[in-house]
Amino acid sequence: MKALESTHFEAFAQKILNELKADEELTLNFSGEKTLFSRFSKAKVRQVTNLEQANIDFNFIKGNRTLSFSMPYQASELDFSLALKKLIQSRDWIDSLPEDPYLVRPKHYGVTKEENLHTLPHNDDMIGMVLDLASHVDLAGVFSSGDIAKATINSKGQSHWFKTRNFYLDYSLYNEKQKAVKSLYAGNTFDSNELKRNITDAEYKLSLMSRDSKKVARGDYRVYLAPSAVNELVGTLSWGGVSMSAHKQGHGSLKDLWQQKKKLSPKFTLEEDFSLGLTPRFNEAGEVSPSRLPLIEQGEFKNFLVCSRTANEYKLESNFASDWESMRSPVIHTGDLSRSDILKELKTGLFVSDLHYLNWSDRETARITGMTRYACFWVENGEIQAPIEDLRFDESYYSIFGENLERVTDFSEMNPATGSYFQRDVGGSKTPGVLLSNFKFTL
Amino acid sequence: MKLKNLLESLSDLKVDYLSLREVHSKSVSLSVRNEIFEGLSHGEDHGLMIEIMMNGQFAYGATNSFLPEDVRACALETKEAAIKASRFSLSKFSVDERPKTVGEYNSPGKLTIEEFKPHEWSDLLMDLSSTMKIHDHVISRTASLAVVEMQTHFMATNGSDIKQTIYRSSVSMSAVASSEKGNQRRSYGDDQSTQFGLDHLNKTKLKVEAKRVAEEALILLEAEECPTETMDLLLAPDQLYLQIHESIGHPLELDRILGDERNYAGWSFVKPHDFGTLKYGSPLMNVTFDPTVVGQYASYFADDIGNPATREFLIKDGVLLRGLGSLESQKRLGLPGVASQRATSWNRAPIDRMANINLEPGTSSLSEMIKSVKRGIFMHTNRSWSIDDYRNKFQFGCEFAQLIEDGKLTKIVKNPNYRGITAPFWNQLKMIGDKSTFEIGGLGSCGKGEPNQVIFVGHASPVCLFSNIEVFGGGK
Repeated sequence: MKALESTHFEAFAQKILNELKADEELTLNFSGEKTLFSRFSKAKVRQVTNLEQANIDFNFIKGNRTLSFSMPYQASELDFSLALKKLIQSRDWIDSLPEDPYLVRPKHYGVTKEENLHTLPHNDDMIGMVLDLASHVDLAGVFSSGDIAKATINSKGQSHWFKTRNFYLDYSLYNEKQKAVKSLYAGNTFDSNELKRNITDAEYKLSLMSRDSKKVARGDYRVYLAPSAVNELVGTLSWGGVSMSAHKQGHGSLKDLWQQKKKLSPKFTLEEDFSLGLTPRFNEAGEVSPSRLPLIEQGEFKNFLVCSRTANEYKLESNFASDWESMRSPVIHTGDLSRSDILKELKTGLFVSDLHYLNWSDRETARITGMTRYACFWVENGEIQAPIEDLRFDESYYSIFGENLERVTDFSEMNPATGSYFQRDVGGSKTPGVLLSNFKFTL
Repeated sequence: MKLKNLLESLSDLKVDYLSLREVHSKSVSLSVRNEIFEGLSHGEDHGLMIEIMMNGQFAYGATNSFLPEDVRACALETKEAAIKASRFSLSKFSVDERPKTVGEYNSPGKLTIEEFKPHEWSDLLMDLSSTMKIHDHVISRTASLAVVEMQTHFMATNGSDIKQTIYRSSVSMSAVASSEKGNQRRSYGDDQSTQFGLDHLNKTKLKVEAKRVAEEALILLEAEECPTETMDLLLAPDQLYLQIHESIGHPLELDRILGDERNYAGWSFVKPHDFGTLKYGSPLMNVTFDPTVVGQYASYFADDIGNPATREFLIKDGVLLRGLGSLESQKRLGLPGVASQRATSWNRAPIDRMANINLEPGTSSLSEMIKSVKRGIFMHTNRSWSIDDYRNKFQFGCEFAQLIEDGKLTKIVKNPNYRGITAPFWNQLKMIGDKSTFEIGGLGSCGKGEPNQVIFVGHASPVCLFSNIEVFGGGK
C-alpha cells in the first residue's frame, strides 16, 4: 500500500509546505493502516473485512489564529489538489476567527524514523491455525493483522515516522452454560506454539467454570483483582484522573490526592513508561515525551499529564502529553505477592479476572462503578469453590489503591491496546494483580 | 469515476452478489471555553466499501482510493476473502438477504458546509460562554457546535440504487461551578442532536439554557447530598434517552442475542423464545423503532445493505414483540427484525444497530405525576452510565435532582444516582408522561462491534415515573 510508505508522505508534505506564505505555519499528522479483520463466533467466521485507509490532519496557524482540517490520503496526485483546496478554504476562514491566546506553535523537535516490520505468516494461515485449534470449543472474538503507520511533519523541519506490523487474537471461550474466559494473543512475531499454549491455557481456565455458579450476595468482600481487571481501572483513571486540564476545569477525579488531603498506599506507583515500546513517544505536535514520567509514586501524587496548550494557558511546563492528556503507556509497579500465594493470601473472597463497563459514581471522591466479567470465582480458605454470577461494584480509588490495598503481585502483564474505533489503536499498559482487604459490591 | 461506472467495471468478476457503498462526509466543529476561542476543525472523509458474497459468505473490502485499478484490486481481494472464509462460515446467506431497493432520502437540514460562515457561529458560542459567566465560582464555561453532512450512495448487482444525504447538527454547553464545597457540572445539549441543521437553531432558547445551566451548577454547590433510600423515581427525557439506549436498545439487538458480540459489547438477557411472550415492562410501555420521524437523529430511508426502513413496535403494551436485527440475523433466528444493518462509515462492515428507538408518550401530565408521589425524586441529565454485558444490572448517575415530598417538588440535591435490573425496572413504570413532556433527541457515540464502530442513534421519551427504585448519592 503506497500510502503507508514514508517517502510518499514526506514528498506530499514538502509539496504542501512549499505553498505556505511567510506568516503561515503548518503541522501535518498522518495515520494509516492496512488491516485484515476476521470476526469469529462459535469458532466460525462471521464477517471478514480487508481495510486500507489513510488520512492526514493539518494544524494551520496564521498570526495568532489557528484552525485544523483533515482529509483522506491515497498517495496519488489527487491528494495535493484536495489539500490545496482545503488550505485555501482555511485561509478564507481563519481571518474571521478570534485569536487563540494559548495556541501551540510548531517547533523543530528533531527527525526520527522507526519501523518494526517483522515478517508474519499469511493471514489465511494464521486464521486457519486459530480455527483448527479452536474447532472443538465455542470461540468468539476477532483476529486482526497488518501494518499501522503514524507520522508528523511540520513547517519548522520536524519529521517523525513510526510504522509497525502486528497482529492480535482477542477472544473468549464459552462452555455449555455460557460461562466464559477471556484471552489475548498479540505481538509482532507469530509463534504457532505460543498460540496453541494460549488457547490451551484458556481451555483449562474454562474447565474451572464448569461448576454451578454461586450467587454471592451484595456486600463487602476480600478481593483479588487480576492484571486485566487492574488494566480496566487504569483505563478509567485516564478519563480525567491524571489530566492537568481536567483538574483545572473542575472535573478531575484525584483532587484530594493532588491537594495532599489524601494519600494512596505506599505500595502503589503509577508511571508513563514508553520503554514498553507499544506506542511512539511523539504526540500530535511531534513533541517527544520523557521516556518515563512518574504520576503517582508510593501513594503520593507526583505529576499530572500536561500538554503544551494546557501549559500555555496555566503558565506551566509541558511534559508533552497528548492533546487529551490521557495515559498512552501506563505501568503500575509490581510488589511481592507471588502467583502461587494469591489464593492462599486471598483466604476467603472473590478472585476477579476482568472488570467491565467502568464509569464514575462520583468524580469528587474518585468513586467508580462497574461489573465483574468472565472468569470470576468464589474462593474459600484459599481454594476456588465456584464461578460467581456477575456483581456490580461501587468503590473509591482511595480504597482500591489506598487503604484497602494489601499486596501487589510480583509479576505484571502486558495489555496491548486492541481498540479499533476509527482505526487500530497503538499503545497499551502493563499491570500487576492486586489483593484488596475489602471491596464493595452493590448489586 | 461515478459509482455506476465502477459497478459496471466489476461486472466480469463472477461473484454471487456485489454492492458498492460510497460514503462522503464533511464536518465542521467549533468550541469556546471561558470566552476564549478554542479552535475550529473542518474535515472530509471519502471512501468505498465493497461487499461481495461467494458461496453464501459475505466479505468486505474498504478503500479510500477511487482509482479504477485500486477499486478492482480491492474487489478481487474481497472476492478471495469471501471464498476462503466460506470454508468456515458461521451461517450461509443468499441474495434473499439483499433486497432490490431504489430510493432517495434527504434530511430536513438545508445549510451546507460550503455555506458555513465560521464567525457567525464563533460569535454565538462566545455569547453563550459569556452568558454562563454569572459568578466567579463558575470556573469553566464551554459551548461547542458540530455539523456533519454525510452523503451515501449504495449500488448493487441486484439493481439497488439508493442515495441518502444526512445532515446532523448539535450545540452543547456546560458550566462547572467550583468552591471549597466541591465541583458541580450542569450541561445542555448532549442529547439534543438532530438532522435539522443549523438553520433550525433557536439562538434565543440557547441563551436561556446557558443561563439556566450556570445557575443550576451554582445551586448544586450549596445542595445537600442525594439521600440513600428506596423511593419513587421520576426521570426526565435527558436521562431516559440513555436508560432506553442501554436497557432496551442494546438487549434487543439480534446479533447480541445470537452471541456475535459476546467477546466485546456483550450479549443479552433476552432469549429468542422471549419474543411475543416476555413482559418487558408495565402495560404502559410502548417502544418503537421509527426511522420515519422527521428530523430525528437516525431517520433514514434504507439501511446500509439497502433494506427499506419502516416504523415497527418493538414492545407493545409492555410485551416484547420484535428485535433490532438485520435480514441476516432474522434468517439465523427465524424472528422478525427491522432495517438496521448499519455501518459507521465506508470503512466498516454493517452490523445490527439501533436507529430511532422511542418510548411512546402516555396520558399523564407532569403535574399529575408529581402530585401522585408521596416520597420520591426527580432526576435530570445523564452524567454516568454502566450496565453489565447481559444488559441486566445497571447504574446511572444524573447531574441534577429535586426531591418530591407529599406531591410537591422540594429540596434540590446533588450527585443523584440510581441502580436496578432491566426488566424489573421497566415493570415498575407507574406513570408515563403525555406529549407535553415528550422530547426528541439523539446520541452520537454508540459503540459496538469488532472492529469497533461508533454510530449515531435517536431516542425520544416523555417524562416517566417508576416506583420503589434504589436511589443514592455521592461521597465516600
